Amino acid sequence: MLKNFFVDRFAVLWTLLVYLIFGPAALLAQAPMVDVTPGPGTIAITGGKVLTVSHGVIENGVVLIEGGKISAVGTAASVKVPKGATIVDAKGMTVYPGLIDSETRLGLSEIAADRMTNDTVEPSEEIFPQMHVYDAFHAESEHIPITRFNGITNAIVAPADTDTIPGQDSFIQLAGRDRDSMLMVKDVALAMNFGQAPKRGARGEAAGPTGGHYPATRMGEISQMRQALLDAQESMARRARPAAGDDSAAAPAASGRGAAGSNSLRNEALVPYLKGEKPVVLGVYDGHDVETAMAFAQEFHLKVILSHVTRAQDVLDKIASYHVPVIVGPIFDLPEANERYDAVYSLPGELAKRGVKVILASYNVSNSRNLPYSAGFAVAYGLPYDEAMKSITLNAAEAFGLGDKLGSLDVGKIANVVIADGDPLDVRTSVKQVYINGVAVPMETRQTRLRDEYWPKK
Amino acid sequence: MSPSVRRFAPASVIAGAFVFSVAGTAQSSTAPADLVIKNATVMTASHGTIQHGTVWVHNGKIAGVGATVSAPAGATVVDATGKYVTPGIIDPHSHSALGDDVNEATSPITPSMMMIDAFDNRDKALYLALAGGVTSELLLHGSANMIGGQAVVIKNKFGLSREEMLFPNAPQSIKFASGENPKRVYGTRNQLPSTRMGNFEVMRQSFEDAKVYRREWDAYNEKVAKGDKDARPPHRDLKLEALADILRGKLLVQIHCYRADEFLTEEAMAKEYGYKIRAFHHALEMYKVGGKIAADGTGIATFTDWYGGKYEMWDGIPWNAVMSMREGVRVALKSDSNDHIRRLNQEAGKMVHYGGATEDEAITMVTLNPAWIMGIDDKTGSLDVGKDGDVVIWNMDPLSTYARAEKVYIDGDLFFDSSLPGFGTTHFTGVMHGSGFGAGEDDDDDQGEN
Repeated sequence: MLKNFFVDRFAVLWTLLVYLIFGPAALLAQAPMVDVTPGPGTIAITGGKVLTVSHGVIENGVVLIEGGKISAVGTAASVKVPKGATIVDAKGMTVYPGLIDSETRLGLSEIAADRMTNDTVEPSEEIFPQMHVYDAFHAESEHIPITRFNGITNAIVAPADTDTIPGQDSFIQLAGRDRDSMLMVKDVALAMNFGQAPKRGARGEAAGPTGGHYPATRMGEISQMRQALLDAQESMARRARPAAGDDSAAAPAASGRGAAGSNSLRNEALVPYLKGEKPVVLGVYDGHDVETAMAFAQEFHLKVILSHVTRAQDVLDKIASYHVPVIVGPIFDLPEANERYDAVYSLPGELAKRGVKVILASYNVSNSRNLPYSAGFAVAYGLPYDEAMKSITLNAAEAFGLGDKLGSLDVGKIANVVIADGDPLDVRTSVKQVYINGVAVPMETRQTRLRDEYWPKK
Repeated sequence: MSPSVRRFAPASVIAGAFVFSVAGTAQSSTAPADLVIKNATVMTASHGTIQHGTVWVHNGKIAGVGATVSAPAGATVVDATGKYVTPGIIDPHSHSALGDDVNEATSPITPSMMMIDAFDNRDKALYLALAGGVTSELLLHGSANMIGGQAVVIKNKFGLSREEMLFPNAPQSIKFASGENPKRVYGTRNQLPSTRMGNFEVMRQSFEDAKVYRREWDAYNEKVAKGDKDARPPHRDLKLEALADILRGKLLVQIHCYRADEFLTEEAMAKEYGYKIRAFHHALEMYKVGGKIAADGTGIATFTDWYGGKYEMWDGIPWNAVMSMREGVRVALKSDSNDHIRRLNQEAGKMVHYGGATEDEAITMVTLNPAWIMGIDDKTGSLDVGKDGDVVIWNMDPLSTYARAEKVYIDGDLFFDSSLPGFGTTHFTGVMHGSGFGAGEDDDDDQGEN
């Protein structure tokens, strides 16, 4: 039926007509794009409580923005506002760097229940480092303005965790006039998953793309991944020093997939990670899986960011000893049967106490906007406030190699700045204005349009 | 058993209680005769917030609330200086403690399913909710069926027996559903219903059958009342009996429903067959037709900010609760989740952000209004004299992200105290049963992703 619809030229014409009459906004999931090319002139945000994240809090502070960058941050006394600057009065407000959600599926999933609007993971094989989320990233997703609305300006978009190596993450700026201008780093990290989630047949399926075949156990997962990384290393070595009469390094592989020594996309995709140039994000929940995953990563000298660890209470000291950044969560994961109610809430605090650079993430689409409250919960259960702010800003930027561009209010950084009417981590606080690349983004979403259309008249 | 029993009851009473509890009739309460919580910011949920207030609970019932309540001699006194006190949080939409038995998804009409038959009182989800200040829950059937099963109303007395956790004399609620879930569950099996037309046709046919059944029984009962000893009782059919109870108005009707048009269809159906709808659950599009539904006297139990997981959730907006309230709808927030049930107070806090609810309005959405939806607002849901001593002490304003429930009292008895080691439970011993996220959507795989 679907096929008939598309070959029916009348249907196509009709679709075009609807598009012409109602415009793109009438179609599902086409949020208006926002051009964040910086304009001329200076913006001065004055009078607010400035949370710099990197160097403390400035009461009655000033943040200057020029050419899309932060050009000054300081007290009202120390920063001279240039003549002709656009003054934004932030008296009584809080000013802080745009928040970074370190794992989301934004742009990969619009309506979870509708397969046609989901591109979260390629399930046909387990090891797919050559999958790039930017190939699927839907820049016009309605979820993006909704996320932005609560002060989140950047996201790491990652594939879902049901493959051991589902692909490479992208680092996204959550506004731009098109997809390309939103992609800050196309391949920022490699996702790798361990334990229960990537198993084939893990939920007892007899057949199908994710059911009832190899690898159906943790042994299978590790063995298969080890083979893949060895193949890629072998391919790297051959290319560096081709043997006499061996032309496999130069010639394209007969099949694009997998075979040892072939010049496959898969092997190529793994190179920067095997060289330790970019981080891998190890998705792992349980304590013993953390140890397995870390041993595997060390075997190949991978640069690691740990992720989840919500059932790893037994190895917190060990996690600290790895000296790697840890994305903890979701913080709203339920504790195990023998754990106290606050076992997961208190994890970020417990890890920070041990010197771990803690990062928080939503791991979600429509809940990405609740990221600041995750950090708030971590504070309620022991994470120092400053560390909580870093967990959704600077720590994330640094872990993904953008510490010099984002994550704090410092001169020279990209002007992703948020103004809110209170504590950014409190559920009662409303964001008043978001700047991305120094441009004031319209505080309008599909949801505000519905709100305004139906707001009670009386 | 616990120290407080030894302090407040003579040995003979304890011995007597022991005998009774063997017989299975005694409440194993360890509540002090008088509990006084003083110097707190008291959010009453019915009559505003009292600074430096006191709540006095006598024999499990609230005996005094105000700025000038004086403690009777011998009372257990808790100094709550700097802390907040609210009524117990009430969740009008939970599937906790029902294990894998949430949905009898084998027929679209299953009104004789009794959720009590699946109720597992040692499920960890109950503990997690208790630690979040939840003192009562409505445990509902899932949303696979147009007419699902009959709910359980509990008091969250975690650690006590199944019987002791049931809310005494609570009215019986029944779960209906509509929209995408029934049509997906049966449609994918190529069964009726697979469309919204099918959904409502199935309901109408059931009510037509129930009308006949009810007439037969009414006629029989009339004969018996007139002394006819030869009257033969009609066949007793549990399904039709439950449907007839709906028509007789004996059950509170709780309807899973998202879309504005379906609220109107459901109300029309209710009028056609003569029953009342107590509440629409989820109700994400209520902001579009709030005035009409308010006039029907139907409330809502809604998510704060969930949206977009499926088409019928696509127009969900986080201002729905406050907008609907401004249109006169009685609004409760609910969890539908073993996660969110732990932090309904913060969900209420979001209503200050999304729509500018006052703090008193927000707290009412998770206390008195859900109590009304469950038909227990005469017994709990606010801090008023005569109501049950269901009280929570918070470390700070419960609407803050940083709020934690410190002590949770039910009928004046302490059931959770976060300062205690281990779980912080006072009545629980033994092994908790693990629980998942507990969604009733019958598509919880999707909920995780979006």
